Amino acid sequence: MNCFEFRRMMLAEPRSRTAEQERHLAQCTACAALAREMEGLDARIHDAIHVPVPEGLAERVLLRQKIRAPAVRAWAVAASLVAALGTGIYFYRASDGERVLTAAVLGVKHPAVAAIAHVLDEEPQMLMENRGVDRVMMRAAFTRRGLRMPANGTTVRYFDKCPMTGGAGEHVVLQTPFGQVTVILVPDQRFASRVVVSDRGKTAVASPARTGSYILIADSLASVRRAEQLLR
Amino acid sequence: MLIETKNSKFESLVRAYSAELYRYAYWLCRDRFVAEDLVQETFTRAWQGWDGLRDVKAAKGWLYTIVRNEHARLFERKRIEIDDAQELDEIVDTAGGAAYERFEMRDALEALPKPYREPLLLQVLGGFSCAEIATMMNISAGAVMTRLTRARLALRKVSGAATGRRMNAR
Repeated sequence: MNCFEFRRMMLAEPRSRTAEQERHLAQCTACAALAREMEGLDARIHDAIHVPVPEGLAERVLLRQKIRAPAVRAWAVAASLVAALGTGIYFYRASDGERVLTAAVLGVKHPAVAAIAHVLDEEPQMLMENRGVDRVMMRAAFTRRGLRMPANGTTVRYFDKCPMTGGAGEHVVLQTPFGQVTVILVPDQRFASRVVVSDRGKTAVASPARTGSYILIADSLASVRRAEQLLR
Repeated sequence: MLIETKNSKFESLVRAYSAELYRYAYWLCRDRFVAEDLVQETFTRAWQGWDGLRDVKAAKGWLYTIVRNEHARLFERKRIEIDDAQELDEIVDTAGGAAYERFEMRDALEALPKPYREPLLLQVLGGFSCAEIATMMNISAGAVMTRLTRARLALRKVSGAATGRRMNAR
């Protein structure tokens, strides 16, 4: 390891030090001085960031949780409900006239709205688990729904079974040239019609497939549509 | 029995992480009331999404991500008004000998561009690695390292300037 590499690591991650870094540290007085300086700097950052926490915060969180009605896992319930679609009052039209509904009109239990919440609240943790992708199972899941496997230029970041009412579906996260796209394959239940919803900065399309249904979630309507073109 | 287990695990999480999540939320919004709301909302969502949590050991990263998402959602609705003068007295213990340094460092942290401040908060407060921060922020690990390096270089300058001013005053 040379001084440049050592300093790069020291500035980015001063708290974790490899054996190689330790060896360099023992030999280089300039880098040893930098290491001491960075330790001091991080201690001051740590001190400044640690603002006082209001007294009784944990108790207030627990109290609020006890007062609230027992929560039902939104996604599991949502997958069992195929709400009457297209009855909304609040929506806007995309430039080509496609109607994009708001979550307020569909409600949090609608599969597409619940899927957006699932992606925002649970997907980051799923991605951190970093499981391997079983391409054979994935191909079978896509084929069952009459969907094409993602084309070249698309990376599969995650694929696994996703428990939902009515059986196990699949949760797929794709890295495409137009951003990250989540595909949720719903078993057995065919949605009555295609619906587009926008909520919490995400757009979802829920649509019937050859068997069951699929939900695509991405950052924008354009990305969702491009993903849909990719798979259909 | 299952519910009791879920309740006790949830309570352990609240007691273990509510303080650091509050600090993370505070530095995202810089408003102590909004920060507490964010923590409350985070644990509500955590309770609702509990069944999706496959490994309680991974809960910390999950909770930080929920805080981050909730903050983003809040900012989509409205911009939070911050009364800097009011907050300054409340968050810094001016009686301590290191108060001056904390003022300086706090100002420097606030002046950092958000893309640099956020990974630094996740690393210093949460203890996350560059790879974990990359997943949480949906950027590459290399980009996280670059941002952390730039953040520390910026803070190093400020810290050096503060020390220099104190030396000159003596």
